Amino acid sequence: MALLTWLESSGLSTWVREGETIWAFPTILTLHTFGMGLLVGCSLLIDLRVLGVGRRVALAPLRSLFGVAWGGFWLNLATGTLLFAADATKRGTDPLFMFKLVCVGVGVWTVVQIQRTVIDAPDAAAAAASSGRTLAMLSIAVWTAAVTAGRLLAYVS
Amino acid sequence: MDLTIPHIHLLMNHVPTVGTVAALGLLLLSLIRRNEHLLRAALEVLFVVALLTLPVYLSGVAAGSEIQELDGVAAGAISTHETAALLAFLWMQITGFFAWLALWQGRRLERLPRASVGAVVALALLTTALMGRAATIGGEIRHPEILAGPASATVASSTGWLRSAAIADFVTNYPWVWPAAEALHFLGLCLVLGVLLAVNLRILGAMKVLSFASLHRLLPWGMLGFALNLVTGMLFFIAAASQYTGNIAFLWKVIFLAVTGAHFLYLTVFSNTWALKDGAEAASLDRFVAAGGIGAWVAVIYWGRMLPFIGNAF
Repeated sequence: MALLTWLESSGLSTWVREGETIWAFPTILTLHTFGMGLLVGCSLLIDLRVLGVGRRVALAPLRSLFGVAWGGFWLNLATGTLLFAADATKRGTDPLFMFKLVCVGVGVWTVVQIQRTVIDAPDAAAAAASSGRTLAMLSIAVWTAAVTAGRLLAYVS
Repeated sequence: MDLTIPHIHLLMNHVPTVGTVAALGLLLLSLIRRNEHLLRAALEVLFVVALLTLPVYLSGVAAGSEIQELDGVAAGAISTHETAALLAFLWMQITGFFAWLALWQGRRLERLPRASVGAVVALALLTTALMGRAATIGGEIRHPEILAGPASATVASSTGWLRSAAIADFVTNYPWVWPAAEALHFLGLCLVLGVLLAVNLRILGAMKVLSFASLHRLLPWGMLGFALNLVTGMLFFIAAASQYTGNIAFLWKVIFLAVTGAHFLYLTVFSNTWALKDGAEAASLDRFVAAGGIGAWVAVIYWGRMLPFIGNAF
């Protein structure tokens, strides 16, 4: 708790939270939304393809989309850290926020696993039809939960 | 002369009323003359009219709240017009979606599928009638010369669940509706961005080994996200119209929404991109449009997120 209080009272956290400029909280929150769109958008599209949507789209070239998804991930790790620091005592003790973090963690894990075990597999189509299906369904479920929990933070907490 | 919101609504309201009649005429003519090109053009016009009906509806709500206190304005006619317009707007969007679906299916066929075309004709007939009705009631708001006796619109006061007031009550009375719609709105945002990235990055030169035709199959998922966000977005707008109608961020958002919709049509029907075989390089104009399509949706997200910061929404 002392750590959270210290984090929240740091100069940077105060600027993010109270800075009366569009470049503080509004811009960081908007960048966090873009990062979500890149990471979740690309991940959902890959999941749908693994589940059989657009079968004529070969799997291997979708590696480019993973690059975009990772861009979104790093952007949101940075902006998410800033947003957390600005509100550390509240978020750090909020079970809904913990739930969101777990969902994001599992979501990122599914992205890594789908890339490793499906896209990079010698026979990507066969991998998509077997272990890929479970991963893709799990991925859709946890991203839906993560986005919902993130949105709810603005209303319940 | 200052161009006020009522002016804009009076200018733009001709687009859906005249547009549906014109598109329906083209549609029927193309069927009589058995002309596939004309049929495709009619469906494209219908889709564009549906897209432009969004700013017409939104500007109408803003205009209504601006003029309701004025002399000679039949306040009852405003709410009846708004209810009629909402119904017409809803069916216009359904018609536009089916027109898009027929075009999407027809892209890889010699002939547009007749079942879809038949559905569009029926929907366009219904929409034309509903638009005419909404326009007629709208005319009674401030045209005493066409009102003989008591305003017919005020007599036939509207009931039922498809009224702005009933929808606003639903959204505000249950505390879970707004957050749930927000969650869906954000998931829809992700879906649209994912599809637009996949298809447009191919045009821009990434994933060049894929043919455009294979990625074309993903477009309905983008349209699904777009439709999901139209529905949830309308819930927000109807429940709290005043925080959007005077909001500069919302104006920009709607402009870029129309651009994104037009971009979906481009991805669906244009021949240059459709002809891109695996490994083929797109022309520079198409790459420009592809970048613009991603940019338009990024702008929609930006202005949507800025609604409470640059504008006045909560």
